[in-house]
Amino acid sequence: MTAEVAQGVVAIRFANAVNVGLVVIVGVWHLGLDTMLVVRGWQAYEPQAVAAGSWLALTVILVVGSTLLLRSALSGRTARLLAAAALLTGAVALASYPPGEAIGDLSWAGNTVGWFGVLLLIQRPLWELITLLVANTAVMVGFLAADGALDQVAVSRLLAMVCTTSGIQLTFMYLARQLNDGARDATEIAAGQADLLARATADETVHAERRRRYEYLRVRVEPLLRGLAEQRLDPADSVVRRRAAVEAARLRRLFAETDDTPHPLLHELRACADVAERRGVSVTLLSYGDLPVLPTAVRRELVEGPLLLLAAAVTRARLTVVATPQDVVVSAVVDAPPQVIAESPGPLTVSAMYDQEGDQLWWESRWPAQPVA
Amino acid sequence: MASTTRSVTVAIVDDHPVVIEGIQTWLSEEPRISVVHTGEAVDVAPGIADVLILDLNLHGRLVIGSITTLAAAGQRVIAFSQFTEQRIVLESLEAGACGFVAKNEGRAHLVNAVLAAADDRPYVTPTAAGVLVGDRGASKPQLSTQERTALLWWFQSMSKASVARRMGVSVHTVDVYIRRARVKYAQVGRTAPTKADMLARAIEDGLVTPDEITGYESAAR
Repeated sequence: MTAEVAQGVVAIRFANAVNVGLVVIVGVWHLGLDTMLVVRGWQAYEPQAVAAGSWLALTVILVVGSTLLLRSALSGRTARLLAAAALLTGAVALASYPPGEAIGDLSWAGNTVGWFGVLLLIQRPLWELITLLVANTAVMVGFLAADGALDQVAVSRLLAMVCTTSGIQLTFMYLARQLNDGARDATEIAAGQADLLARATADETVHAERRRRYEYLRVRVEPLLRGLAEQRLDPADSVVRRRAAVEAARLRRLFAETDDTPHPLLHELRACADVAERRGVSVTLLSYGDLPVLPTAVRRELVEGPLLLLAAAVTRARLTVVATPQDVVVSAVVDAPPQVIAESPGPLTVSAMYDQEGDQLWWESRWPAQPVA
Repeated sequence: MASTTRSVTVAIVDDHPVVIEGIQTWLSEEPRISVVHTGEAVDVAPGIADVLILDLNLHGRLVIGSITTLAAAGQRVIAFSQFTEQRIVLESLEAGACGFVAKNEGRAHLVNAVLAAADDRPYVTPTAAGVLVGDRGASKPQLSTQERTALLWWFQSMSKASVARRMGVSVHTVDVYIRRARVKYAQVGRTAPTKADMLARAIEDGLVTPDEITGYESAAR
């Protein structure tokens, strides 16, 4: 998992926590407080079926809205539709109150619609919630006016109520959004920093890699080319030719080293085999067992022996790779003169021998795999 | 090694006539072997010949399942294929083939494999040796260090003489290690008359002792 994705998960979890909190608040509000109010004033509502029906309809809206919100499946359209339905149901509920009770002790739906708005419109622009709250207040004012109960006391009660409940709802909405935005910003900044760091590391690696290759070319290949150009080295000399063949194979391996392939070891061996095949050497490459991931340095050393032998092979070469849970064994058997293995073999080399009777060179390197924990 | 003195009959199934003719030419240089059937279809009657050389890929279809049927009826089969993937070699042996010879391994290996199979004796080509030593399957038998080394070096060098010199033992001993490793593979997986015959012959030859092959008995139950 990349840092970016991990940070994104943190932001999503944060938003989820806010949403869960919201669902709990609105749930307790409606199923607890509203239910209590409706039951307590049951005798006063007329018709009772409308009061019960609107309570039930709001419950359905609550369940649907909460489920969609928690599953991150609440689209803007659905949210607005459900909010409008809540507003309408609230108005229907008001119709069942006794006259003048739109903001009285028997009133329950007005505040609930506001909280529903917070729940449903949390991911929407703030003005949508404000619109809902204004419309909700307008409905209450409308009912009070229709009942002829819009006196001074009612107006001041209404103002107080609007200021407190709508104020709290808007504040809650505002804070939740601030928190979410903060989390998102933090996430984006962290991801940006991680990205920058990763890019810097990659750049450094590429740079180091280029330096290494350049260094190699400077030390090994340049003197050879310079010698040939200045005619100090004779291309007809078999030693010069073998040196050229080895360096050609090393260069091919060097460039194959950074290729993205499923089996880099085999890829590098094939690159060396390819150079030998161009000289007319018949090469067989066989590999059995599942190769583990090998560090570049290990691959470099495992390939070195076969590379030297391939460059010296006269007509045939057999390369084999066997991977077991214990080790990775690379071997090369070629028809070549014994002086090829004068170069000191590395620590992974098990055996580098000239089989006089078989008149062939036989090189074996072995990398002990780490024991499986 | 293969010490048979009697004549051996061979059937060849391959979907390429040129391969059949090539195999016939190879085998004709060996007086003990006579080819009694050639064909492109795998639906031969078991017992058609002492040894059946079967191309694993007939008209684009792998016929490893047919080895199971033939081996169950006691027909000795040598899997002969240009495909040398580990899975294919192991499945052929598991199905009850006496041996596996890669098409690029040449005449000597095929002739040796045929003569060995006719006597229910194991013969492991370098390719098959590489497959066995690289096997990390759950049911692979426990091989001794010498057996593993002999298989690995036989795979690497294709010369038992070179392996013998490097191990500091005789060529015969190298061959014993390789054959013992192969016989251990006849004890794992599903049973087949061809595997039982190979084990029986291995005991008779003193290659393994009956105590060493309890694995076969338990697998049979």
